[in-house]
Amino acid sequence: MSDNYDVIQVTNVTKSYSLGSGEVEVLHGIDLTVRNGEFVSIMGPSGSGKTTLMNLIGMLDSPTRGSVRINGANISGLSQKELVKLRRKEVGFIFQQFHLIPSLTAYENVALPLVFAGEKNDGAVESAMERVGLSYRMDHKPSELSGGEQQRVAIARAVVMRPKILLADEPTGALDAATGARIISLLKSLAGEMTVIMVTHNRELAGHSDRIIELQDGDVREQGEQQIRINESKMGVIV
Amino acid sequence: MHLHSFVLKDVFRRKTKLVVAVLGVAVAAAAIVAVVTTFSAATEGFHEASNKFGANIIVRPEVESIPLVDGYTSMGSLYAGNNYIEESDIPKIYNIKDNASLSIVAPRLYGVAELDGSSIVVMGVDPEQEKQLKPWWNIRGQWLSSEDTGPVEVLVGSDIAGPLGLGKGSMIALSKDDQSLEAKIAGVIESTGGNEDAYIIMPLAASQYLLSQEGKVSSLEVRALCNACPVEDMSQQIEGAFPGLEARAMSQIVQNEMMVVDHTKSSAMAVSIITLLVSTLTVASTMLASVNEKIKEIGIMRAIGASDMQIVSMLFLEGGIIGLVGGSIGFLVGTLASYAAAPMLVSVTPDPMWDVLIPVVAICMLTGMIASLAPARRALGIDPAEVLRSV
Ligand SMILES: Nc1ncnc2c1ncn2[C@@H]1O[C@H](COP(=O)(O)OP(=O)(O)OP(=O)(O)O)[C@@H](O)[C@H]1O
Ligand SMILES: [Mg+2]
Repeated sequence: MSDNYDVIQVTNVTKSYSLGSGEVEVLHGIDLTVRNGEFVSIMGPSGSGKTTLMNLIGMLDSPTRGSVRINGANISGLSQKELVKLRRKEVGFIFQQFHLIPSLTAYENVALPLVFAGEKNDGAVESAMERVGLSYRMDHKPSELSGGEQQRVAIARAVVMRPKILLADEPTGALDAATGARIISLLKSLAGEMTVIMVTHNRELAGHSDRIIELQDGDVREQGEQQIRINESKMGVIV
Repeated sequence: MHLHSFVLKDVFRRKTKLVVAVLGVAVAAAAIVAVVTTFSAATEGFHEASNKFGANIIVRPEVESIPLVDGYTSMGSLYAGNNYIEESDIPKIYNIKDNASLSIVAPRLYGVAELDGSSIVVMGVDPEQEKQLKPWWNIRGQWLSSEDTGPVEVLVGSDIAGPLGLGKGSMIALSKDDQSLEAKIAGVIESTGGNEDAYIIMPLAASQYLLSQEGKVSSLEVRALCNACPVEDMSQQIEGAFPGLEARAMSQIVQNEMMVVDHTKSSAMAVSIITLLVSTLTVASTMLASVNEKIKEIGIMRAIGASDMQIVSMLFLEGGIIGLVGGSIGFLVGTLASYAAAPMLVSVTPDPMWDVLIPVVAICMLTGMIASLAPARRALGIDPAEVLRSV
């Protein structure tokens, strides 16, 4: 397989949630293709479905209609077990609130995906910590780290399994501007090695990515060098 | 790092919850251990007591008797009436079907004689057989010699020897009606707390002479060879061999006492088991609370690669650890409690029952795991997509 292939193929994906008596359709038939190693930003107003899309790509959720392919495999056809395996191997998550496990040290938090995957740490934890520049903070608990440091530990945890895809949902949302910028440059340095998809509300930070995808109620804009298509994305209620 | 070390860290982080859950288990385990330990000690005490009967079948004429029973320890019986067993009939006992189980057949003759103007109980025995029946007697001096030479030898109970200042080698003069007997004290029986403290014990022939009951015995104390002998059957066989005699299995007395103990034990056990059920609920609700507290964390863990199995086994491990710690503490507390209470309740001091440690801890661990079922169900219902959205 060449390096330049489509690692994510979202085809005509619809996602609806049942809500009381009716249904909320959050995504209305989205098409999105991401090349291996790309750094993509997703922007859009609150409630436009950004997190929903991320969850679909991250295999935490499945589409109501349409297909999501990761590395060519349609996730709708996979069993729960296969999904867990694929997710461990292919996807790393970063969240706005870092979501480190408070009882564990930085080192242990980073090692956790290895533990779940049943893999030995053959230096992967150390090199991930080095990668985010926190080798000297291995034994600190999350509560003993600054916000920026916690997010860097979270990034180390997300990349320790060397996944193909790094999903970052508003990774700078809880950080000040300077710290946020550091995180973005860290993500940028990871892009190429892996595909990075980042949700952000900050246009300036989004500017660091290869392209920006805009999700908007009935209005889809795209920027960047590559051609992408988003047919439609809007929120609607069908009662 | 392994999954279990992660669970340990997490469990110990929530100390207060841990303490509550562990205490719940510990109380139940302590109750069970205390009941088991106390009542096993009591049972053992009864068995020892039943051994101390010396005989487990007593053969005597069918007459009214005054049983000398002190608590659960029988001290033999005194007989009213004039019926005796013919000494010459004794060998007939070996004709019974289970004769191979007969290990000791000790004839006894009881009577009252005068010593220094006061009445004392005389017990005539077969020195050889009697010695086997009373292995725990401590004698200051010697046991009765079975030789017929020299003066008649007697053993004296401590209640007689003390006040009269008798000791090994002292000579005493016994009399009954016209008969009198010079006897030499072979030894003094150190106090057993039993009736023999007030007895003078002498060879059967001498007692028959003194009491004018030649060729007669009052009772036969029979010891069956084995622990699980069919004593009831044997007593019936003996009654068959000796028409007019009554053979009573002495274990019956113990059995009656044991039944009372068993009843008490059953109700105490029932209470303990209810405690265990309650503690299961305590553990379950504590763990459910902690799962609810950790919904976000569990969501994260699933997002970063934890499988359903791993989430469930983490909770089971937590339940198991609570059971392990609670069970061990409970064993300790229960043992100490029975050590303190048993002497008052059943007049025995129990030993720690190490052989129930593992079963009790295992039951507690199982309890902990059963208690994890509901929390596990709850945890599996957590949708990471949902949790991560509501940051
Ligand atoms: N489980 C659900 N049931 C019903 N509606 C849901 C559910 N999950 C999400 N939604 C709705 O879907 C829409 C999109 O949600 P999503 O979290 O993807 O938005 P978002 O673009 O990430 O917003 P934000 O920028 O605030 O994070 C919202 O209107 C939300 O209320
Ligand atoms: Mg969102």
